[in-house]
Amino acid sequence: MPLLKKTFLLCVGASLLLLAGCASKPPAAAPEQAIVGRVPADPPKNPVIDAEALKAESKSIAVTDIYFKKEGKNLVFIEETRHKTNNNVTSIITPKTIPVDADKADTSALTGGANSSQFPVKFTNLADPNSTAPVVTPVDPQTSSNSSDSETQSSKKSGYESKMEYGELRYLANPIRGLLIKSGYKVVQAKSTVAMPNQGDEYFDIVQRIKAGDFPDANYVLYGILTEVSVTDNVDDIPGTRSSSQQVTLEVTVDFNVVDTQNNQIVASFIASGDGKEVRIDGKDNNFKASKAKLMKLASLDLAEDVRKNLAAQNFITNNPGSAGYERNLKRRLDDDAATLKVYK
Amino acid sequence: MIMKMHTKTIHLSAFAMSAVLLAACSGPQVRYGDAKAVETVNANYGSTDLQTIAEAMTRSLLQSKAISGSKDAPIITLADVKNKTSEYIDTRVITDKIRTQLMKSGQVRFAVSVTEMQNQTDELKRQNQSGLYKNSTIAKTGNMQGAQYRIEGSIASIVKNTKDVKDVYYVFNLNLINNESGLLEWADEKEIRKTATR
Repeated sequence: MPLLKKTFLLCVGASLLLLAGCASKPPAAAPEQAIVGRVPADPPKNPVIDAEALKAESKSIAVTDIYFKKEGKNLVFIEETRHKTNNNVTSIITPKTIPVDADKADTSALTGGANSSQFPVKFTNLADPNSTAPVVTPVDPQTSSNSSDSETQSSKKSGYESKMEYGELRYLANPIRGLLIKSGYKVVQAKSTVAMPNQGDEYFDIVQRIKAGDFPDANYVLYGILTEVSVTDNVDDIPGTRSSSQQVTLEVTVDFNVVDTQNNQIVASFIASGDGKEVRIDGKDNNFKASKAKLMKLASLDLAEDVRKNLAAQNFITNNPGSAGYERNLKRRLDDDAATLKVYK
Repeated sequence: MIMKMHTKTIHLSAFAMSAVLLAACSGPQVRYGDAKAVETVNANYGSTDLQTIAEAMTRSLLQSKAISGSKDAPIITLADVKNKTSEYIDTRVITDKIRTQLMKSGQVRFAVSVTEMQNQTDELKRQNQSGLYKNSTIAKTGNMQGAQYRIEGSIASIVKNTKDVKDVYYVFNLNLINNESGLLEWADEKEIRKTATR
């Protein structure tokens, strides 16, 4: 009987221990959703660059000033008067150059466009050898004299010469440098470039500059080429009022690329724009003039904000780890990356 | 005796005249009534119609998906309510009443309507362009919030008269329109029939 009691007590004790053990166990993990056709995700090949990683690895970036290329056109008149006396030839060439707006020139008399009255000259591309071949106007009794021992010829040519101007804008990139510093990058100074005479589009060849050692300490180079700058000044009535609003807007659009200096891989590429706007109620009545300095500041700040969004969207910089933006970027990257095709079973 | 009668007549006349004069000096009688009481003076559009329409529309609008299903209180603005009746009706009073009741619900926010824009622009102009205000306290131009929806509608009537009967039928329509998509998010109507007999 005592043995039976002891056995009973032992059994109860063991049962209690087992129960206690079960109770302290963490809940069993829910079985992974069985999705046929997917395999567990591999770690991303290009892990998201976050602020902590940057700090640990001390990644550095050089941000160039914004490159620009400006096309200019000059309207050129060349008038040549050649005077021939016996064996002597005297030639008087009178060139006249007028800088014109390239767009206006293109839509002028050449096309019979709206500016034909402003530019009543048929344009010829002086770079074209055919167009610049000597043209001798028929001798006009009024403009030339011809006698047995002397002859005067006069010729006129007109056309346009194109010229390209390359350079860097010094005032747009600083807010972008600031945001990269905030996001954890070490920003290094980029060497500025000077356009050479007869400069071509090789001015934009960033790989050449990397190879030339213009960014020796940088892991990445962010460079942008100005696509367009426009200033608009519009006046609109405000419905329901006797007032109008004058809006002066400066808008800049820049084409950006981020290049890895180790392998020249483009790790981010996008187009960003920024605008600075000043609004004045009844401004037209008071001949309001907007402050260009203020517009430029607003535009550069807005451009930097758009750059931040684009860099974050391409995982070059992230929002704070754990934030909604970070999760969204990570998810998008995993979803979009073909190398992370998943097959669950 | 005759003398006594004559004196009495004079006294009565004087008393009657005094009573008439006193009554004339006391002026019209004024009393407060119940603003919500049903008004049936005639068959024309009246205060009861205004209250009925506003209540019905507010209730229906607050139950609409666009408002009850919205996480944040959506921003709405008032547009025109057209008066298509033959009577003079200040339709702005109807929309203002609806706006007040909607605001009290706390489920929507209202942006200034077109009719209130003059005051708004005048105030912005005063603060931004007079140069009198501290920069950090200025309500800056360009930060007004656009309304997601606008409320617009119409009121129409059909009136029929006979020698002894006047029958008026009002129909009030109200629409909630998404400003961005142009979609009609909600619409309702309130019908009122009034008959006056002699």
